[in-house]
Amino acid sequence: MKIKLTTVVVLILLVLASLVYIFPIYWTLVTALKTSLEIFTYPPIFFPTKIDLGNFYQPGNVFGAVSQTAIGSVPWMINSTIVAIFATLISTFLIAAPASYALVRYIKSVWLARLILFMTMIPEAVFMVPFFLIVIKLNILNTWWALIITYISFTAPFATWLLMGFFNDIPKSVEEAAQIDGLSPYQIFYRISLPLIMPGVVAAIILNFISCWNELLYALILTYSPFPSGAQTVPVFLTSFIIVEKSFAWGGLAAAGVFTMLPTIILGIIAQKYLARGLTLGAVKG
Amino acid sequence: MSEVVLENVTKKFGKLTVLDGVNLKINAREFFVLLGPSGSGKTTLLRLIAGLEEITSGSIYIGGKKVNDLPPKERNIAMVFQNYALYPHMTVYDNIALPLKIKNYGEEKIKEKIKTIAETLHIEDILQKKPSQISGGQQQRVALARALVRDPAVFLLDEPLSNLDAKLRVEARAFLKSLQKEVGITTVFVTHDQSEAMALATTIAVLNKGVIKQVGDPYELYTKPMDIFTAGFIGSPAMNMIPGKLIKEGSSWKFLSDDFSLDLSGMKFDNETETILGIRPEHIVIANDQGLNAKIKNVEPMGAVTYLEIKVGNTELTAQYTGLVKLEAGMDVKIRFVEDKMLFYDKKTEKLINY
Repeated sequence: MKIKLTTVVVLILLVLASLVYIFPIYWTLVTALKTSLEIFTYPPIFFPTKIDLGNFYQPGNVFGAVSQTAIGSVPWMINSTIVAIFATLISTFLIAAPASYALVRYIKSVWLARLILFMTMIPEAVFMVPFFLIVIKLNILNTWWALIITYISFTAPFATWLLMGFFNDIPKSVEEAAQIDGLSPYQIFYRISLPLIMPGVVAAIILNFISCWNELLYALILTYSPFPSGAQTVPVFLTSFIIVEKSFAWGGLAAAGVFTMLPTIILGIIAQKYLARGLTLGAVKG
Repeated sequence: MSEVVLENVTKKFGKLTVLDGVNLKINAREFFVLLGPSGSGKTTLLRLIAGLEEITSGSIYIGGKKVNDLPPKERNIAMVFQNYALYPHMTVYDNIALPLKIKNYGEEKIKEKIKTIAETLHIEDILQKKPSQISGGQQQRVALARALVRDPAVFLLDEPLSNLDAKLRVEARAFLKSLQKEVGITTVFVTHDQSEAMALATTIAVLNKGVIKQVGDPYELYTKPMDIFTAGFIGSPAMNMIPGKLIKEGSSWKFLSDDFSLDLSGMKFDNETETILGIRPEHIVIANDQGLNAKIKNVEPMGAVTYLEIKVGNTELTAQYTGLVKLEAGMDVKIRFVEDKMLFYDKKTEKLINY
C-alpha cells in the first residue's frame, strides 16, 4: 500500500501541533514529580531520574491549613466543584436552553441574538466594580452564590448563543408532528427539542464548566478564604504558590496544577465525542 | 369518519396570495388527492387543514365543526410529513406511543394498540429500533403507524412517497391504497406526481398558483380536462398541444394550424376562434393510406408501449403505440387523430370549448 505524501505531511503537522498542546501538560506533570533539586537544574531535565511524590502529599499537612502540596488544594476544590456545577447547570438548563429556544422559535429577533453574541465578547473584567457592589449589597461576599451569580452572567450568553444554532437545526416538521400529536409547546420543548440537541447541551456544559473552573479574577475579588469558612476556588489557591518566602514553589504549583486540572481533563475525555459533534453542528448556523 | 369542507379559503403570506378562494368538499372515507406543481399552494392547503397555518379568510369545517381557530391537537387530524418527522431520539415504539401517552392512555392500552397497528403495517420487528437504524420504507410505515394509532378523523399526507426510491414507491403506493380502504379514514394526500394521484385517488383536485383548476375522479380528469393546465399536467407523456384556428367553411368546421388542416365534420363550435388542439399521444394513430404526412424523428420502444416522436411540418408530436412497432427514425408515415378524442381549448380563456 502506498502512503500519500500529503498524508505524511499532514500527520507530521498534526504531531507537531499536538506537541505544542501536550508539552505544557507533560512539563507540569514531570515538574510535579521531580525533586526540587532537579527542577532547578540547568540545562533542564526532560525525564526525571527520581520520582518524588512530596509535592503531592506530605505527612503533617492537614486539610484546611494552607499547604504547599497538591493535596492541600482539597478545600478549594470543594468550592470550585460546587460553584462550577451550579453555575453551569443553572446557566445551561434554566437560562440558555429556554432562552435560545425562545429566540429561535418565537422571538426570532436578529438584534437580540446579536446582543447576546456581543455579550460573550465583552471582557469579563469590565464588570468588576458593579459585580463587587452587587455582591456587597446582597451581603454574599465570600459565598458560593457570589461566584455562581457572576459566572452565570458570563456562561449563560455563551451557552445561549451555542444552543441557538442547535435549535435552528431541528427540522420544523418534527416539532409540527409533535404539535399534531397533541403536545403543548412546553412539552415539545422538553420532550422533543431539548433531548434532540443533547450534544449541544453537553458541549455547552463542558465548555462552561471549564471556564468556571479556571476563573481567577472574580474568585480573587469576591472571595477570601477556602472551604468551609469561605468560597475561594482553586485558581486562587494556585496563586499562593507563586511567592512563598520570596521564591516560587514550582514543585508544589505543578503538583497542584496536575491535581486541579484532572476534573476538566476527565470531563473532556468522557465527553469529547459530544464536544466535537456539538461544536461543529452548532457552528453551521447561528 | 369526517368530511372536510373548505369555504372560500384564502391564505396570504404578507402580500403574496398563496391560496385564493378555495372551495372544496372532501367526502368521508374518500382518498382525496391535492395535485399541483411546486408552488401551487397544495402543501399550504394541507397545512391549513392541519392547523399548522392560520387562514387569512374563509372557513374550514371538519366533521361539520368549524375549526378555524382550533389548534392542531383539537382537530383530531393526523399528518404524515414528507420527511416523516419521526422523533430521532425515541425508539419506534416510543414514537408511536407518544400521541397516546399525551392522551393519557394506560400502559396496557398503549401496548395493545401498538401491537395492532404494528401488525397492520408490518413493523413488529423494528419496534425497539431508533429511526436512524431503519430503512426509508420502514420509516414511512412508522410515520403512518404514528398517525393512525390514535384513530384520527382525517388523515393528512404531505408527499409521503417522494423520499422513497422508484421501486419502493410503487409498492408503498399500493400498500397505502389498500390500507386506506381497510381503515376507511378520510384521507387528504398532497403530491406533485400526477401518476401517483391517478393511482391513489378517488377524487383529485388540481391546483395551480393557489387556484383549484378542476376537481374530479381520475377518469374524468384524464379524459376531459377542463383547461389547458390540467390537460398538460395530467398524463405522461404529456398531451400534445397544437396552436391553431377554428374556422367555418360552409356548414362544416375546420382546424387550421401552421402546418396542417383538419376537417372537423360533425363537430360544432360557437364561433371562429384562436384555439389550441389537445390530443393525447395514444390518440395519434399511424394510418395506412389517408392522413397527415409525417416524419418519424425518434422511436423509443418501452416494451409494452412504444413512444414515437413525429414531425408534421414544424409541429412536433409525441405518439404512443401499444406494443412494439417496426418503425424507424426517418421513415415517412401518415397519421390520423382519433376524432372524438380531440380537445379544443380557447387560446385566451384556456378553457375547453368542445364537449
